[in-house]
Amino acid sequence: MGIRWKGKGAEAKALADPMSKIVSQLKCSLIEYDFRGLLSGFSVLIEASEEQTGLFNRTCFGRRIITTEKDKQWFQLSMEEAFYLSYMLKCIKVVGEDNCPTNDDELWKYAISKRNNFPNLFKAYSHLRMKNWVVRAGSQYGVDFVAYPHHPTLVHSEYAVLILSVEDDNSNGRLRVWLDFHCILRLCGSVAKTLLVLHIDKNCSAATSPSCLESCLVEERTVTRWNPEQSRENQTTVQKEPSN
Amino acid sequence: MEDDERERFRFYEERSDCDSDSEGYVEDLVDDALCYSSCDIPKLQLRKDVSKAQWIEELGMAEVVEKKGKMWTTTGIVRDGKIYCSIEETLFLAEIGALHIVNGDDTYLSLKDLYEKIAIGNDGYGSSWESFEVYRHLKSLGYIVGRYGVPWTFKSTKINSIAENGASELDGTSCNGSRHNIFITEMFTNLQFGEVKPMFDVYLPNSKFKKSSPGSPCFLLCRTSDHPPSKQATEDLETRCKGHHIKFCNVEHGRVNFFSFNKVELPILP
Repeated sequence: MGIRWKGKGAEAKALADPMSKIVSQLKCSLIEYDFRGLLSGFSVLIEASEEQTGLFNRTCFGRRIITTEKDKQWFQLSMEEAFYLSYMLKCIKVVGEDNCPTNDDELWKYAISKRNNFPNLFKAYSHLRMKNWVVRAGSQYGVDFVAYPHHPTLVHSEYAVLILSVEDDNSNGRLRVWLDFHCILRLCGSVAKTLLVLHIDKNCSAATSPSCLESCLVEERTVTRWNPEQSRENQTTVQKEPSN
Repeated sequence: MEDDERERFRFYEERSDCDSDSEGYVEDLVDDALCYSSCDIPKLQLRKDVSKAQWIEELGMAEVVEKKGKMWTTTGIVRDGKIYCSIEETLFLAEIGALHIVNGDDTYLSLKDLYEKIAIGNDGYGSSWESFEVYRHLKSLGYIVGRYGVPWTFKSTKINSIAENGASELDGTSCNGSRHNIFITEMFTNLQFGEVKPMFDVYLPNSKFKKSSPGSPCFLLCRTSDHPPSKQATEDLETRCKGHHIKFCNVEHGRVNFFSFNKVELPILP
């Protein structure tokens, strides 16, 4: 599927500023300032300087919290985002209520206690982020994530991402019956996104620590409807009901 | 600049792409209105040239005795110089009034008789009502549809070797076997839960189609039990049908839906 850029200069802008480079800049800035985030529920709250705000926006990590504070900007990171920055990029430390930084295993266990599907969520998130795709929440489209090939202001999202854990009997509750397919494809179709299913190794759900994730495989499959009425290309004569 | 960025970012973040629905939503509403309205429902036009065929019970097929019209280049299989139609082909042509079918004793087989034939259990001549709906849907749109694993003619066996091997695997018979085995394929034996099987070879509409050298089908259409195929089942099928594009169909309340589950590899972006 070709990338759908928004407006004329978008493609040039994206090529000049690859996502990996911006993420790298964000990482450096956060490490330099020994950046910390505050664990709160299933989010991590962060206070960013002007420079960091720009970088968070350009890399699409976090959701802005609107306050009247002038020189600092607050963001909330989702648990996957926070864990990615903390565990994969090692550029933030997440502190708990006792003001002590949590280590990776502690944070992992905490996340699982809140959402036992966290290992799959995180594996999917980091799988795409590692390939330099921009990954955002997808709940408004009835999916786990939406993935963009670059910043959402420059490009339309390519994929609506749904996570399936490869269980033996495929009973993890997603896409179990045909109606589920109809429903989700309808939704994807009306927002012009392709459904991307990520099949995650079943060992992932049982991961007791994030290091277990490295060996878990992720298989990508698109699910698309085929419309026979629209697909009759390169035909010379349509062989319909002949009348002679 | 930062403010602008933030504003635009939020703008795009919170809006969905309000592209028009590509699923033909409005058409569905109209379709239902027509279905249930009490005004005249359009009928197919009567045609002048009607072909004639004789139903052969032992084969579960109709042997064409009088050929009229151009449709025979893409319908029916050729054996010993004669054309034989499967139950779905026969029923399709009967519905559009292009084929007149008789029994061995020359008594007329009505549409009702044919509907009854296809209803006979799961093994109704290797077909079913649902597979017929799929066949009819594609055929009406001009696609060329043959049963998976059944050569159009025996001249084409080399080209269709994959389909042939597939048939052997599926039925445990060889195409050199009895006349009976050549004609009947087990398209609709009860599928195990989650089991997936190829059902039809589908070709794009083509006025130059030749049964003697049909080439490779555009895709293989597979049926599943009433549940969507599992990842394992999809993979097994892809291995078995190596080299062929595969699609799945689901028939619900008279509507035929087609799906593709394509393996992809998202590129690593810069």
